Amino acid sequence: MIRRMSERADSVQQSAQDLLRAVGGGLLVGLPLLFTMEMWTHSFLLPSWKIVVLLGVSFLVVIGYSAVSGFRRERTWTELLVDSTETMGIAIVVAAGALLLLGRIGPDVGLRDAIGKVALEAIPVAFGVSLAGSQLAAPEDDGDEQGMAGDQRATGTLGRLVVAAGGALLFALNVAPTEEPMQLGVEAEWWLLVVVVAVSLAMTFAIVFYADFRGGRPLDHRDGPLNHPVSETVAAYAVSLVVSLLLLWAFGRTDGVSASAIAGQAIMLGVLASFGAAAGRLLVGGGAAGSAEGG
Amino acid sequence: MRQNSVEWVALAVSALAVIGVVGFLVVDGIRDEGQPPTPIVELHRADAYATGHGWIIPATVTNEGDTAAEALVLRGSATVGGEPEESELTVDYLPAGTSVEVSIGFSAEPDGEVTVQVIGFRLP
Repeated sequence: MIRRMSERADSVQQSAQDLLRAVGGGLLVGLPLLFTMEMWTHSFLLPSWKIVVLLGVSFLVVIGYSAVSGFRRERTWTELLVDSTETMGIAIVVAAGALLLLGRIGPDVGLRDAIGKVALEAIPVAFGVSLAGSQLAAPEDDGDEQGMAGDQRATGTLGRLVVAAGGALLFALNVAPTEEPMQLGVEAEWWLLVVVVAVSLAMTFAIVFYADFRGGRPLDHRDGPLNHPVSETVAAYAVSLVVSLLLLWAFGRTDGVSASAIAGQAIMLGVLASFGAAAGRLLVGGGAAGSAEGG
Repeated sequence: MRQNSVEWVALAVSALAVIGVVGFLVVDGIRDEGQPPTPIVELHRADAYATGHGWIIPATVTNEGDTAAEALVLRGSATVGGEPEESELTVDYLPAGTSVEVSIGFSAEPDGEVTVQVIGFRLP
């Protein structure tokens, strides 16, 4: 009886730790954008449906990331969906609390405005919560056999591209709401954009396959047709550009803007997105080799 | 799948948060008729007060449209001491359905009626 009770206390303590780690991770990633004025103003400048679409896209990214990183235990699809919904919910509560503390929402702020702010700020926080559930967990936490099995499951090419998209979104989101990508993209000459594309490709290629970062892979690593280092770099860059375009569209940077200006903005924001994509791929590493260091 | 009360509470609260936020935005999106920004200015002349530099009239600007207005410029006109006088102010952002408190200044207490005109604003 006593043993059972202490086991229960342990499990409560463990859950409390998980929850606090989720909150901490969420704030760690979300704080820069919680302090970004454009995020506050976009809460009412963006129409409601656009915010719902953005929440939906980030929900998909959270699901994708949880599925790929396979943390804690093997899960069914239902569990994955419930866990991902919980991630979004925790993020909403954390974002609301942070905005209250920062005085951005309160009794004198309109309800639609306040909810828009909470919903937008919940997006980066949700990525942090999601990361906290896997990458930021102490090794003992997922030290049960199933967890280790999940960790060591090699991440395939598609999975890596999902994580690349997540990393790109996470990184580029910090800059996308601001004016800077717009100015950079509109002012850049075409040849400068070509050079920027080339440098983005070369640097991300080097980061993942050559610079010997933790989680990087050797040049001769292959486990699928798309997994040649060059094709993976190009595919990840394409994903980064798509993420950049999505973000530019989300923040109204494409409305009434010429195609060449949109391309310029996407390429400039794509610098951040592609580095985020590279960082994401380092995080999941090359499967067993990558997680051996993590564990 | 959920082991204890902490996990259940976390799940329930987060499910409520998601349903609340998404539900509100969806309902708001459906109700949105795309009404353009409609700034309505309400002067509070009873609360007006004198300073060393003139007469200040507080006012509330409310956007009754469905779209936010940026860089909203308002102009107040009145007759002060027999002379026509104008006063301009800018509201950086006026979100839909939101009120912003402002003040309009004149050199002294206006004689009769004070009218407010919307000079213009930017759409998001």
